[in-house]
Order: sequence, then C-alpha cells, then structure tokens
Amino acid sequence: MPVKTYLQAISDGLRQEMQRDKRVFVIGEDVGVYGGAFKVTQGFQEEFGPWRVIDAPLSETAIVGGCTGAAIMGMRPVAEMQFADFISCAWDHLVTVAAKQRYRAGTPVPITVRLPSGGGFSGGPFHSQNPESSFAHIPGLKVVCPATPADAKGLLIEAIQDPNPVLYFEHKHLYRRIKDEVPDERYSIPFGEARTHREGDDLTVVTWGAMVYTAAEAAQQVEGDGISVEIIDVRTLAPWDKQAVLASVEKTSKALVLHEDTLTGGFGAEIAATIGQEAFEHLDAPVRRIAAPDTPVPFAPVLEKAFIPQVDDVAAGIRELAEY
Amino acid sequence: MMATGTAVDVVMPQMGVSVSEGTITKWLKSEGEEITADEALLEISTDKVDTEVPSPASGVIQQILAEEGDTVAVGTKIAVIAPEGAPTETPDEAPPEPATQEAADEAAAASGAEGETPTAEKVEEEAPLPASAQEPPAEPAQQAEAPAAQPEADGDGRPEGKFVSPVVARIASEHDVDVSQVEGTGRGGRVTKKDILGYIESGAAAQAPTEPPQAAPTAAPAEAPPQAEPPQAAPQPAPTAAAGAQPGETLEPMSAMRKGIAEHMRRSLDTSAHVTSAIEVDMTKIATLRQKLKREWADAYGVNPTFLAFVARAVVDTLKDYPWINGEIRGDQIVTRNYVNLGFAVELAEGKGLIVPVVRNAEGLNLLGMARAIADVAKRARDKQLLPDDVQGGTFTITNPGGYGTFHGTPVISQPQAAILGTYAVVKRPWVVQDEDEQDAIAIRSIMNLTLTYDHRLVDGALAGRFLHDLRERLQSWEESGE
Amino acid sequence: MAIAREAEPVGSLNEIKEAGLDREDLLGIFRNLVLTRGIEERGHILYKQGKIPGSFYTGRGNEAASVGVGTAMGPEDVGTPLHRDMGVHIVRGVEPWRIFAQFMGRADGPTKGKDGNVHMADDRLGLIAMVSHLPAMLPVAVGCALAFRIREEARVAVAWFGEGASARGDTHEGMNFAGVRRLPVVFVCDNNQWAYSTPTHLEYACEHLADRSKAYGFDGVVVDGTDVLAVYREAKAAIEKAREGDGPTLIECLTLRMEGHAVHDDASYVPKEMFEEWAKRDPIERFRTWLRENADFTDEAEEEIRGDVKKLLNDAIRRAEESPEPGVDTLLEGVYATPEDLDTPHHK
Repeated sequence: MPVKTYLQAISDGLRQEMQRDKRVFVIGEDVGVYGGAFKVTQGFQEEFGPWRVIDAPLSETAIVGGCTGAAIMGMRPVAEMQFADFISCAWDHLVTVAAKQRYRAGTPVPITVRLPSGGGFSGGPFHSQNPESSFAHIPGLKVVCPATPADAKGLLIEAIQDPNPVLYFEHKHLYRRIKDEVPDERYSIPFGEARTHREGDDLTVVTWGAMVYTAAEAAQQVEGDGISVEIIDVRTLAPWDKQAVLASVEKTSKALVLHEDTLTGGFGAEIAATIGQEAFEHLDAPVRRIAAPDTPVPFAPVLEKAFIPQVDDVAAGIRELAEY
Repeated sequence: MMATGTAVDVVMPQMGVSVSEGTITKWLKSEGEEITADEALLEISTDKVDTEVPSPASGVIQQILAEEGDTVAVGTKIAVIAPEGAPTETPDEAPPEPATQEAADEAAAASGAEGETPTAEKVEEEAPLPASAQEPPAEPAQQAEAPAAQPEADGDGRPEGKFVSPVVARIASEHDVDVSQVEGTGRGGRVTKKDILGYIESGAAAQAPTEPPQAAPTAAPAEAPPQAEPPQAAPQPAPTAAAGAQPGETLEPMSAMRKGIAEHMRRSLDTSAHVTSAIEVDMTKIATLRQKLKREWADAYGVNPTFLAFVARAVVDTLKDYPWINGEIRGDQIVTRNYVNLGFAVELAEGKGLIVPVVRNAEGLNLLGMARAIADVAKRARDKQLLPDDVQGGTFTITNPGGYGTFHGTPVISQPQAAILGTYAVVKRPWVVQDEDEQDAIAIRSIMNLTLTYDHRLVDGALAGRFLHDLRERLQSWEESGE
Repeated sequence: MAIAREAEPVGSLNEIKEAGLDREDLLGIFRNLVLTRGIEERGHILYKQGKIPGSFYTGRGNEAASVGVGTAMGPEDVGTPLHRDMGVHIVRGVEPWRIFAQFMGRADGPTKGKDGNVHMADDRLGLIAMVSHLPAMLPVAVGCALAFRIREEARVAVAWFGEGASARGDTHEGMNFAGVRRLPVVFVCDNNQWAYSTPTHLEYACEHLADRSKAYGFDGVVVDGTDVLAVYREAKAAIEKAREGDGPTLIECLTLRMEGHAVHDDASYVPKEMFEEWAKRDPIERFRTWLRENADFTDEAEEEIRGDVKKLLNDAIRRAEESPEPGVDTLLEGVYATPEDLDTPHHK
C-alpha cells in the first residue's frame, strides 16, 4: 500500500473524486493557477480546466454562498478557505442559509468547505485557529477533523457525497509532517465513527486532529511508569461517536478530553458533559480537559508553545489522572 | 370562513411579533346584531398600530366578552359569533363525569370466578442485588463526604471518611462489599476501582494490589474465574457455614453472579405468591409457516423465525388486553403501562448462570423485528456486550426451559414483574381433531405447552386462564399474512 | 449624477408583441396582478382575525415589478424572490392555498410550519426560499448561475434585493463575482423607497442604485416599477442577454411601498403626499387602463377575471384552514439531509 503525506492523501482523494464525478468542482482563492496556498490543488487546473478549478475573488461570502447556490442546482462544490480563520467572513452565510435550508425548505445543500486549521508555526492569531466548536453547535452543519492520511482521504470523500454542508478541518501542521499508508482505491469513512488510535486500560484520552499525535507521544512516555493509556480519535465532531467514547470510559473509568482549540466552550466541554452525565457510575475520577488557554493564538514561538498543549503537558495530565 | 353549526370565537389579534396585548377602543356592532365575514367588527389600539378587526364569520353576535377600554392579552376571546342558521343556544357544557366505579368494577370482575379478593400487601422495596437484571442501586455502601473534590492540593489533609467514587460505590453495592474493608491505593488512600475489583476477585486478604484481573463491572455479569476462598461480608444469612471440605467433597466459591441469582430467587419467592397455570397449544400452523419463512428470511434477513419469536409476538398482543399481567405492585398501587418491555431469559455457558436482557417497546415490533431483537440481545448477552439499559425496566419475561425437551415447569418471577411465561418443547403428538365431516379423528399435530407463573397477589387464576386461552387462540389461528 | 439608462414606458400592443406577449398573455398578466394583490389583502384580513401568527408582510405597490419579472423568466430559469415579490410565486405556479397554509403555519405549507410568511419556495418551480438576513440569497443566486455556466446550460438566475439590503456586503460580493465571471444572472432591485422607516438617502449616496452596475462591469437600467409591461420588456431583454452569455444586468424597479414594513407598522413616517402621488400610479389600475385603451379589454372580461380570482381565493383559504397543524413529532425532523433527498432532477 502506498505511503502518502496527509496533504497528498487529501489532494489525491479530491482529484479522484473530480475525475469520477463531473459535478464536483473546486473554488477558492488562489486554488487554480497557483495550486492553492498549500498546494493541495497543484496541477488541478491543468487537468480539469478553469471552470472546475475556479480562482475566486477575495470574497468568502461569494465563495460559500455561491457554493450553496450551485449545490442547490445539482453540483457538488468543494470550497477552499485559504485559512480556516477566514471562515468567519462566511459565518453568516453558513449559519443562516446553508445550515437551515434543509430543515425549513426541504432543500439539501451538499457543499464541502475545506479549512486549513491549527497552529504551531508562528502563524499568529489569524492563521492558526481551530474554529470548530461554534459550527459543531449549529444544527444542520457537519464538522469533520481527520488526523491520519487514510482518514483524511476517506472522510473527504464522505464529505463530498454527504448531502449536507460539511466543514472539513485539515490541520495544516500535519500536511507534510505525517506520512502513512493510504489505500489507492476509493473508500469513504462514515461520520460519527471514532477510531481507537491506541488501546489501553487505565485511562481514556478523547481527542482529534493534531492532538492525536501529541497524545500518542505522551502515552508512550507514561507507558514506562506502568500507565496504560487508551486514545480515542473521534474523527468527526458533528456527529460524534458517543457510544465509542462511553464504551472506552466504561472500561477505564477515567477520561481526559484533549483539544487544540481554546478551553471554554470548546467541543471538549460537550464531550466531558456527556461523559459526566451518561457514564457517571463508571467514573473513578473527575473528567479532565486539556486545551489551549482562553486567548487568541499568540505569535512568538515561546508564547505559542505555552499556548498549544505540548506532549509534556498531556503526559503530566495523564499522570495526575492515573494517580487519582 | 367556516359555515358549521358551532359558534366562532373572536380573539384579540397579535399585531406584530413583540406585541402582547391590545385595547378595545370601539365596538362597531352590539350583541344580537348581524354581521358578515370580513366586515369590521371592532377597533383596537396596540403599541404599534391602531386598526380595525374584521369579523371571522358571518352570523349574529352572540356574546361580547370585553368592554371598550379593556386591555386584554393577545389571543383572549373577546366575542362569540353564532353562524347564520345556527339556533342561539347558551354555550355552557358540563363535560361528562368519568365513571368512578370503573376501577372498582374491574377489580371485582377479575376476582369473580376465584372467589378470592386480592390483598395488596405492602412489600418493602429492598435494595436489589443480582448482577443480572436490576438497575444500579441507590445507596452506595459507605460515603463519608460528598464527591467532586478538587484532587490537586488537599490529598493529605483528608478527614477519616474517604471519598468513594461513583464506580466504586456501584461495584461495592452490586457485590455487597463494605468499602471500608478495602485497602485503598488512590489519592489520599481512597479505594480505587482497581482496588475494589482486586478485593472482590482475590478475597479480603489481598493487601498489596497485585495485578488484578481486569473485569468489566457493568450490569452484564462479571465472568471472573472463581479464585481461592469465598469472599465474606455477606449481610444475608448464609445458608450453611462452609467449614472446609469433608472427604469426598470439593468446595468452590460462588461467583458474584451465582450469589446474585441465589438472592434474587429467594427474594422473589418470598415476595410473590407464585402460582402456575398451564395450557397446551397446537403450533402446527406456525410450524408450517416457520419452514416457509426460514428460507425466505435466511436469504433476505439472515435471521431465524424461531418459535420463540412467534410466541413473543402473540404475547405482546395478548398483554394489551391484560394490563395487570404486564403490571406491578408498587406499595399499595397497581402499576400498568402502555408499553411492553419484554425480557428474555438467556442461559450463559453451561451452569454459569442466566441473564435476562430486555427488548424495550416490544409492542412496536412485527414478527421480523421481534426475531431480530431476540437474536440481537441473545448474542450480546453471550458476548457480554450488554449495557445497563439492556437489563433494566422489563415488564414481562419469557423463559424457554423447553430447550432440553421438558414439557412443564414453574419458573420464578423476575421482580418486580407480575408474571413469567415458560415455553416448552414442541412435540409431535397424536391429537383429536375434527375431520371434514366434523367427526373426531386422530391426527399428528405439533403441540407446545405454555406455563404462566403469576403473582397471585395481583393476578387471579381466572385472569391467568383467560390470558393463556387468548394467547393460545392467537397462536393457533396465526394467519400467514399476520405479523 | 445618474449613469444608468432610464427605461421608456411601453406604448402599443404591437410594441409589446415584439417583446413576445400576445393578448392572451396580457390578460394572464392582469389576472396574476389581481391574484397577487388578492392574496395579500386576504392574508392581511386573516392576520387581523388572529389566524396568522407572527408577522405579515405585503408587497402592495410592487405587484407589477414582481409579476413583470416573473413573466419574463424562462421555464428552466431560477430565482430568489423576496417578501415584496409574491407576484413571482404566483407567476411560477405556486398554489394559493399552499401560500395561505404557509402563512398559517400549517402542515401543507411549503415549509410545513418550519418557517413563516413568505420564507417559502418550491424547488420544482425554480424558486429558492429566502431568509431574513437580506440579501443573503443574492450570492446564492450567483451560485446557481455559476452552476449553469460550468455546465454550459442556457439557464438564467434572477436575484432580488431591496434598496436597503444593497448596503450589505453580500450585494457587493455577489455582484462583483458575477461581473468578473460574466455569469448568467440578472439582479433586480425592488426600490420601494423605504427600508422600514429608513428613506433612500440614508441607505445609499449615489443617484440610482442601477448606477453601481458599471462598477461591476455590467449595465444597469432604472424602470418605473408600476408599469408591468416596461418591467417585462427590460427583464426579458436582460434575461435573454444573460442566456446568450453576455453577462449580468442590474434592473432597478422604482415603486413606493404602499403599506407599512409589516402589517403592524402604520408607516406614519412616510409623508402623506408620497402615498397620494403613488396611489395614482397603482400598478393594477395602470395596467387596467392600458388594456382598455390598447387591447379592447371589456367590463365583462374584467368581471370574469375578478370573479374567478375571488372564488379561487375563497376556496384556497378554506382549504388552507382545513390543513392540519404540523405534528409536534416533526419538530426534530429534517435537520439533516439524507441521500434520498438528492434524488431530484437537479442532482442527477
């Protein structure tokens, strides 16, 4: 099986879909001639032409709103936001039109919005965010956060064929750093299904995106101390795999929810509240959360390191929980 | 514009989303006057606008209920119009009194034939224990302080009583363990889940926490292999003091599940007045249908149309007419329901015990759905994948002791239910039937016995008999198109 | 200083024949005008009778603008009409009883009670349901045109917006994108001179909104919105131009909003003289006069149409009143689409 980077998996998956289905087209800033700010669509315009790989004006509302209209007319648009942070410019459209059209007018809106998210490279406050939780909160939208190359491809294909608006968060710090096996053939991964990244008995770490790797390293570290950590990668936030998380917590009786987004109101709060409510009698310790502090993402490397949960932070949190 | 015979109400309209009341400034018509639909009836004033209100119907103004100058809430009835052609009646109706004798009559009818009147005994609700079928108990074994302490700083400064976490409390209660007897290795010396599981598995003598077997303490029974000695701390009277093996004897400790079953059985017999009635059912029609469906279903659904599924289906329909048999005595009240949560007794690997998973809302399942549900819970029971919800809340149980060929039995009722149905082997027997000339003849028929073991405190013999009779009728006259 | 062209009024029957309408079509237009107004007048009464919850909006005075544009649309064209454009729904064939059911929040309304007043549309008739955040649907219509352009279909999208909504970024972003890509979309501005209580000089600083078209690289025209034939002629030309691949047009229809922003608003901030002046240009009256003068429109013919419409409305209201309220069990349904929802001609 071929080994690909996370970025390559996304690019290949997208290309395969465009080859397979003429209704799929890509639109975003600099996606055509330039191949995209991160080169995900490099070579696409040569292959598919300028009306399937569309260089849009600097206008998120026109891009996302335009996708909605095209989707209603039967296309399968895939919009690329240059940085996930810019989705706020299309927030109104997503929440007001795209999210609600099916419920009130019976009209499905099958759009996918790709969002290069996350920090860790001094991108500063406007190029590093993980704006996932506010959208997971809106009924009618779906939110997807793959961590592995294989998941990235399978979830992207699922996103494109899903008849609902899907926000696809691709963590840009994983683009070239993570390499793994990715099947060549077409496959899709259903939303709402978690993946056990690591099996263990003493406590459960629930996480997604780049933090999966941070958790994995931390788990490796504490293994020497006899702590057996189970890592559940939820992969999608709306919907999320409640059953898998609860089953793991029933097994280990200790839960730690980890995410790169800021703490208050982050999606981890929803998961923690659910565990507290539905697995109360299986808990041997309070449910913990580790997340970034409630600040904008700082620029200076030393500040950013203190902001994004590091392997040592997570290992310390695991140890504390294990000792409870 | 409804031209029916009933009076039409005129209400204060809502003139704008934030408006909550309106004031009547002028009535343009008075009581007794005629009016046509859409004709202006009155003028109102609101925060936002002054306007006329058109009449919703044609007819005569029967009643004006609010005066000029009155301010009323939006939606308030302010007038009544009698549509044209309707005689003007005074619109007062007393709703009919519900029959109060109804409940008493029903009770009398139920106890009629037997001549016994049911006495509702007060039954103390004891803390249920069996690992198989009960919801997690309310009282944890020992709790000195409230949970949810911030564990960071105050590990050392803890008072005498130690914190008991939810999972430890539940395990302690399920296994009847006194937490204070367990050595704690958690923060501040608290007993952790590992500690109490280890204690249960390896007995009270366990000091240092060696690697205890990882058991899953959910409501699905913990299949822990029995260890050395039987654990103590049993508040129930122990049947015999296990003093040690006599020559020729072997001792093995009772597993948690076995102890649970023992306690539950004893308590059930002590609680309910167990009586059993039996009936023979001609299942020939169903047996034929089964053969046909077996092939169809194997291809289409991958599920087997078992006799049990047919019986369960018929039971659910019959229970609709016999709510007390699906009921419960709670204190001095009789509980009946508009749903059936059907429990199925499932035997675990030989001798290890039994568990009763519940198919909830069985009244909503057709034959296929029932067969699937039964197959699903049975499999999950055997694979130990049941969740707490799966073994709680049953309202009626079916058990199948006939799997080994027996033709009669008297199962124990699963508390707090009112009855349990036993199904037995389907056996080909010579049977008296009517031939075409309506003469008696002998034919070979597939016969199955059913027993209903019921709590005579609530269910009388006549009721049980009628239930079995109706159940039999349903099974014997099963239509091929029936579900 | 105005930049956009001002449209000429329509003259004779022959002239309108050149624009593609014969006498039968004209009588049909008259009927649609009467029906549009009738629905709103009857709805207004129902509202005051407490039979319609929430708010009630009318497009009184805008009937010609909406019917005119709607009539000029082709059968495969799509549009995003707004709350003053009831005429578009009527022309496209939405049944009046369903409109009343929508107003009353009944199960047979197009949104089955999930949304109210004119926030409705029938996909099969090429209409997309509006939202309250105006003009959020403008970029959506541009998106429809984008799909047509990608697939090289001879179809056109029509995007409506009010003069108040023109102040929002969605207008700019949508028009800019459409101009840049010469997409087959026609923008129709319902300029009824009042955005709630805000007059035009507090909404925009140029003389005509149609002037802005030049900034986006296409043409604009200002037309008397009470002249249904002039509106039709301009709309038809713009739509066919777009269909031929020559890009967008901005049509500004000038009218006066003859009632309040909604029925709870008495519009006392509008100078009485404005109402008086524009009442003389009532769109239905104007067209009726033109028909009498140019198309041999008789009293009998008019009576027949009006009587027919009245009966239709009575039946429609009765039928709508019989429609049940949505079951509470439908509350949680339909938040997410399923693959079956994509089983429509659009998506094949």
